[in-house]
Amino acid sequence: MSVLNQTRPETERGRDARRARSASRAPARARRTRLVVRGVIGVLILAVIIEIVSRAGLVDPQFLPPFSSVVVQAVLLFGDLGFLGGLAATILSFLLGIAIASVLGVGLGILFGLSQTVYFAMRGVVELIRPMPPVAMIPLVILILGNGLSMKLVVVVFASVWPILFNTMYGVHAVDPAQREMARSFGKSRAAVIGRVIIPAAAPLIATGIRIASSIALIIVITVELIAGGADGLGAFIASSRASGTGVIYVYAGILIAGMLGLAVNLTMAALERRWFGWNAQTGVK
Amino acid sequence: MTATAVARKPRIASHRPGWVRRYAAPVFVIVVLLLLWELAATVAPSPFFPAPSRIFVSAWKMFFTGPPEHLFLTPLMIENGLTTLLRMLIGFALGSVVGAILGIWSGLSQLFREVTNPVVEFLRSIPASATLPLFIILLGGDDGMRIAFVAYGVLWFVLINTALGVQSIHPTQIMMGRSFRLSRLRQILSIVLPAALPQMFAGLRIALSTSLIFAIISEFMVATNGIGYELINTQARFQFLSMWSWMLLLAVIGLLANVLLELVEARVLRWHRLFRNVGNE
Repeated sequence: MSVLNQTRPETERGRDARRARSASRAPARARRTRLVVRGVIGVLILAVIIEIVSRAGLVDPQFLPPFSSVVVQAVLLFGDLGFLGGLAATILSFLLGIAIASVLGVGLGILFGLSQTVYFAMRGVVELIRPMPPVAMIPLVILILGNGLSMKLVVVVFASVWPILFNTMYGVHAVDPAQREMARSFGKSRAAVIGRVIIPAAAPLIATGIRIASSIALIIVITVELIAGGADGLGAFIASSRASGTGVIYVYAGILIAGMLGLAVNLTMAALERRWFGWNAQTGVK
Repeated sequence: MTATAVARKPRIASHRPGWVRRYAAPVFVIVVLLLLWELAATVAPSPFFPAPSRIFVSAWKMFFTGPPEHLFLTPLMIENGLTTLLRMLIGFALGSVVGAILGIWSGLSQLFREVTNPVVEFLRSIPASATLPLFIILLGGDDGMRIAFVAYGVLWFVLINTALGVQSIHPTQIMMGRSFRLSRLRQILSIVLPAALPQMFAGLRIALSTSLIFAIISEFMVATNGIGYELINTQARFQFLSMWSWMLLLAVIGLLANVLLELVEARVLRWHRLFRNVGNE
């Protein structure tokens, strides 16, 4: 258990536990209606406050445009081909980055997790490298690789591979040895034991690692786009809207869309994890 | 049953590594990696990747050869390194306090939690770096803006974890406080807070390591000093050795911050760890 405590933020476990508890207490549908009603009220309160503060001129509308205008502007942006191209570039770098990081992280993680000595040696190394801020290498990578896709990918993969690698190592290491030995004694080859026993057993932890990595990856993609002059993407759009001076509303609209993107990523990853690994006592209902 | 037990025994013992596995093996791997890098840098020198020995020497000269009255820190280190450190720590402290207060409120009040939930979920889904231009627009380019940005970036980790920690407190504990007629503040400080602390630390740990990242990111735009600024600056001037020295300094700060927080956590949660060990054995 202590292993699990280290690898995953406690957040999700608590949330799922709570969900499971309250689901059994109140009828699920009534609860959901209440959540939606209250949530909508919360959003409306915030929107109305911003709208009033801005329209009444309490804060210069130049700095805080009315909420409704920002929403309208964000919707209009989807008709702008230049903006859509940037958004596509951001999403592409994110998806490719997380895919490469997953392959690398899971592959190396299985390799490092299988042997006891290698596991402990590499765990020390990974724990040493992990706290180092990945953003430090952005200027260097920009210099070497320019401001295109490959530069973004290198930084994103470097930043997001650690949680995946870490969780895979722990997951593989924590597989019950009795399960491995049983498969062996049924005559399975080493490769089959990895494919049939070890990977399925470690899969829930790996999925958690990929979910954590995906929110890191999105932050890094946008950061890179903010600071690499001449890069394209959502981050570059927000940065250049600020620099141009006239486009404060575009800055807000861009951030709104970035938030939608982040929310979509978070919800998709959480839903996939629940769907595939809801059975698992460690990630699902506990 | 017995067969399994016998078969498992040695494996369980190896879950508790001896000092060789715990310290010697990682150190060995790191030394080998550094030597390989050194070798590669000597055999095929590249301006982008100077040899590690040169980086260490350069970093030492750049940062720690100052006058004794400044604790041997160079002006460069004080002007940029300490500035970044201060922005990071103040931002972390501010964000943690605000996050903890909102988290406790949201943990205790179901109404507050459910009303704010979509807004909180949305705000924390925004990749924080995307909001940096907005911070610059609203607050200008000084230290206050950078601290506010760091605080905003780390607030969510503390908020979410505190709220979950508070919610997981057994209702009897809170009711007991009420029946002893403790004041609301007293209930929060001496019952809610300690009980939520282990979970809060999970949030604080993530918040501390990300506060350094956000401090650096904030110095990538419209800055005049700080480690992030120096990274961009040395990059623009092709001073690779200096750039690697700043990267090394960042790595050391990141590591030290992590170690320090773990020490604090071990001290503050001593009662909890003990309790858990007794429960396990």
